[in-house]
Amino acid sequence: MKDFWVWWDKTRGTLVLALRSLWVNKLRAFLSVLGIIIGVAAVISMTAFGEGSMQDALEDIKRQGATNVIVNSLKPPDDGSSQRRSFIANYGLTYRDYDQFLLIESVVRSVPMRIIAPQEIRRLDRMQQGRVIGTTQDYDKVNQIELAIGRFLIDSDNDQDEGDSRSMRNVCVLGSNVAEMLFPFEKPVGQTVVLNKHQFIVVGVLKDRMALTSSSGLQEDYNNDVYIPLRTCRARFGETVFIRQSGARGGEKVELHQVTLTVEDTDKVLDAGAAIEDMLSTSHLRKDWAVTVPLARLKEAERARDRYLQLLAFIAGISLFVGGIGIMNIMLATVTERTREIGIRRALGAKRKDITFQFLIEAITQTSLGGAIGVLVGFGGVYLIAWASQFFWGVHVPFLFSRRPVLISAGASIAVGIFFGLYPAMKASRLDPIEALRHE
Amino acid sequence: MNAVVETYDLEKTYFLESVVVRALRGVTFRVDEGDFVALMGPSGSGKSTLLNQLGCLDRPTRGDYFLAGRNVSQMDDDQLSDIRSKYLGFIFQSYNLLPQYTVVENIQVPLFYQNARLDDRTHRRCVRLAEMVGLGDRLDHRPMQLSGGQQQRVAIARALVNRPQVILADEPTGNLDSRTSDDIMQMLVKLNDAGKTIIMVTHENDIAAWAKRVVRMRDGHVETDVRNIERTQPSHEANEEFLQALSEILAEEEAEAAA
Ligand SMILES: Nc1ncnc2c1ncn2[C@@H]1O[C@H](COP(=O)(O)OP(=O)(O)OP(=O)(O)O)[C@@H](O)[C@H]1O
Ligand SMILES: [Mg+2]
Repeated sequence: MKDFWVWWDKTRGTLVLALRSLWVNKLRAFLSVLGIIIGVAAVISMTAFGEGSMQDALEDIKRQGATNVIVNSLKPPDDGSSQRRSFIANYGLTYRDYDQFLLIESVVRSVPMRIIAPQEIRRLDRMQQGRVIGTTQDYDKVNQIELAIGRFLIDSDNDQDEGDSRSMRNVCVLGSNVAEMLFPFEKPVGQTVVLNKHQFIVVGVLKDRMALTSSSGLQEDYNNDVYIPLRTCRARFGETVFIRQSGARGGEKVELHQVTLTVEDTDKVLDAGAAIEDMLSTSHLRKDWAVTVPLARLKEAERARDRYLQLLAFIAGISLFVGGIGIMNIMLATVTERTREIGIRRALGAKRKDITFQFLIEAITQTSLGGAIGVLVGFGGVYLIAWASQFFWGVHVPFLFSRRPVLISAGASIAVGIFFGLYPAMKASRLDPIEALRHE
Repeated sequence: MNAVVETYDLEKTYFLESVVVRALRGVTFRVDEGDFVALMGPSGSGKSTLLNQLGCLDRPTRGDYFLAGRNVSQMDDDQLSDIRSKYLGFIFQSYNLLPQYTVVENIQVPLFYQNARLDDRTHRRCVRLAEMVGLGDRLDHRPMQLSGGQQQRVAIARALVNRPQVILADEPTGNLDSRTSDDIMQMLVKLNDAGKTIIMVTHENDIAAWAKRVVRMRDGHVETDVRNIERTQPSHEANEEFLQALSEILAEEEAEAAA
């Protein structure tokens, strides 16, 4: 205990001395740690921006669901056989495929989708263009969407009395924008809209849903979508969708456009994805499908982040090394200037290790203060850049501060102080007391 | 009388590139407790070299040196540092105060290296010493703000703070005018009267005249070693306060040592 207090007195005294000595040469001390300040500030701000954009990307992926496997129908590239100009292109996922997916053990939920590309949705004299999506009651769960009012599709909406097509449930759920355009003054739930000449009763409206970047890189806007039961969709719209494209008429026969599967655990997602790929490559002759595993993208994003951080660490390492050399240089000069002081201290009883300690503490104090200033400059820089790009260019730059780069910067600053301060400090301690005392 | 300093055939040789300099050529020399020795001699005769040996700043090439009974001629660097911080007080020609420190802090430096706690008591003691040498109103001044005489008085206070067995002074008045030199010498004589052993190098006969004993060196030898019979006497009225404070501090030290 006494030892601790003795040590404490000594350390405190040495620290106070270091601060005073630095204060005497404020400008010089500042200039010599400039390298460290800049290095640390760069690390802090670059990680903040990197983490910020990474965070955005991760949120995006998480919205797609980390336990999901998304299987899409894909129009295959034109091959020789289709040169026969068959009007109807027949491709994509089938109801059989869908049934097969359900055999995979880890799959807990499976949502099929038919997407009928832009249709006119009418309400009295109002009209809005929107995609019609035929799906099942689990769609809202796998896609983590929320209802503003009413309900989503339920199990019984897809029930069917065998052979009786008239018992189809003509119900629909509207995307927020559709609801807004068609029902500017009334409550939409309970009202009817017209889709492809059929009347549909609105049972619910979704909350605003953020657009997300799909695997193909397209921004998808969900707010113009209308959701109807899958069976109803098949019955009312048929299996073939006709499209008019730059004058040419054509048709597509696609049973299912997309199937979103939810797997019980993130551990099993990649395996499930692989199993589905296997399944489809044996049952389909052409590559008219695509499997997307958001978790795989997440992994990839994390790898990209790690590479970014490695690069950053490399740059930071170089700038700290250069900064450290600056410190060493200035410490050597300091030792020469203060040779006489060293002689006096030695004469008054300082041991070699006391002298080493003193100059080491001085170097560490200098680099830690530099590191601290660097952290503050980094924070300030991030806010400034984010504010300026918002203010002048209207660009939102995401950023995120985390504790790790701050701790690492602090550790690195101290380490640089020790590493580059040690040699000058040792040099100081090896001076001969008598010669040091004679030094002018 | 107890011998505080005893050297036997002390030699110091510097091996330079082309020449060998024999700065001390066998100095056998003894100083008793309470003595006041003036080391004199021509330039280059080895006075500073001997004083550095006595101050444990260097080890002899040959010979033995006993400081208060301990043979220090074989000690390593750390042990010598310990000896310096605990048993020796230094007064230099150029004062050698630390510029970053205030008066009180300068006085405290030797204690800093003693591995002892620096508490309020040590601080009070340093303040008392500063007051004793007449710098009670300058406690927080830096050396740069003090005159040469004032700086040397701080150095004296610093040399006393660790209750040394010997005070070593290398031309303590070399940078001072004669009036200030007198002040400093008055203080040293009074310290000596109070029982402190002092060894002082000087060139000036006036200064040496304050000492009890004068040792003359030549070419690394002790040439003559005589008692000073016509010793300059300190004036008593001038330093009443100093004496008063000194006796108080010494009494305190004794009381502490007894406890
Ligand atoms: N570090 C050293 N290296 C080589 N020679 C030295 C060294 N220190 C002292 N000397 C030599 O030792 C001799 C004695 O020197 P010293 O400094 O002891 O003399 P001094 O009596 O104190 O002289 P002064 O009155 O001028 O101070 C001189 O010849 C000097 O050149
Ligand atoms: Mg000399």
